[in-house]
Amino acid sequence: MDMYIRVKRSKTTYFIRCKASDKIIDIKQKLQELVDQPTSNQRLILPGTGEVLEDSKTLADQKVENDAVVALTLRKDDNEFEEVNIVRPNDFYQARDADGASCWHDEIHNGSGNISPND
Amino acid sequence: MKKEDTVKLISAEGFEFVVDKEAAMVSQTIHNMLTSPGSFAERQHGEVTFPEISTTILEKICQYFYWHLQFASGKETEFPIEPELTLELMMAANYLHT
Repeated sequence: MDMYIRVKRSKTTYFIRCKASDKIIDIKQKLQELVDQPTSNQRLILPGTGEVLEDSKTLADQKVENDAVVALTLRKDDNEFEEVNIVRPNDFYQARDADGASCWHDEIHNGSGNISPND
Repeated sequence: MKKEDTVKLISAEGFEFVVDKEAAMVSQTIHNMLTSPGSFAERQHGEVTFPEISTTILEKICQYFYWHLQFASGKETEFPIEPELTLELMMAANYLHT
């Protein structure tokens, strides 16, 4: 096993095993059965920069490294893709979490209000 | 990836982590849940809920599972643990036999 990435959408994280030489389309094929959506209805986005990952490029091409977090969005009924939506746990570690949490704080739409702290 | 090769681990706050069974079975406790004969409901549904493990800790544990597999295949890197997670992580590791 070479590496893995964490694909996140809403409250779900998919740990996907992959190689740096895998193309984005390969990742979408791995996700296909897990999310019940064909690859054409999936879009993978780097949550830090908002960059949309292209099917024909490899993970290495787009600097996606081991343990990286990638946002998954799906096509909605009106044929548009939904916004990036990653819900983060609302606990006291949040501010110091190691994986660049601050990059997508402003993209959180819900969740923080209805999740109770875990103490 | 096939659904039956994965298992869904659910945290106290209801966050879901979908991981390879092989990775989850780094935990002896999860290994037993998924392989023992009889009627662990976990085995049928491929879902395990951990009402006492918070989301942050459960994600760290999943990262550890994969780190463990990488390490076993010869990639010797360090596994980073934030000091403030240490106690809760140890309690979870003890429960999970990890």
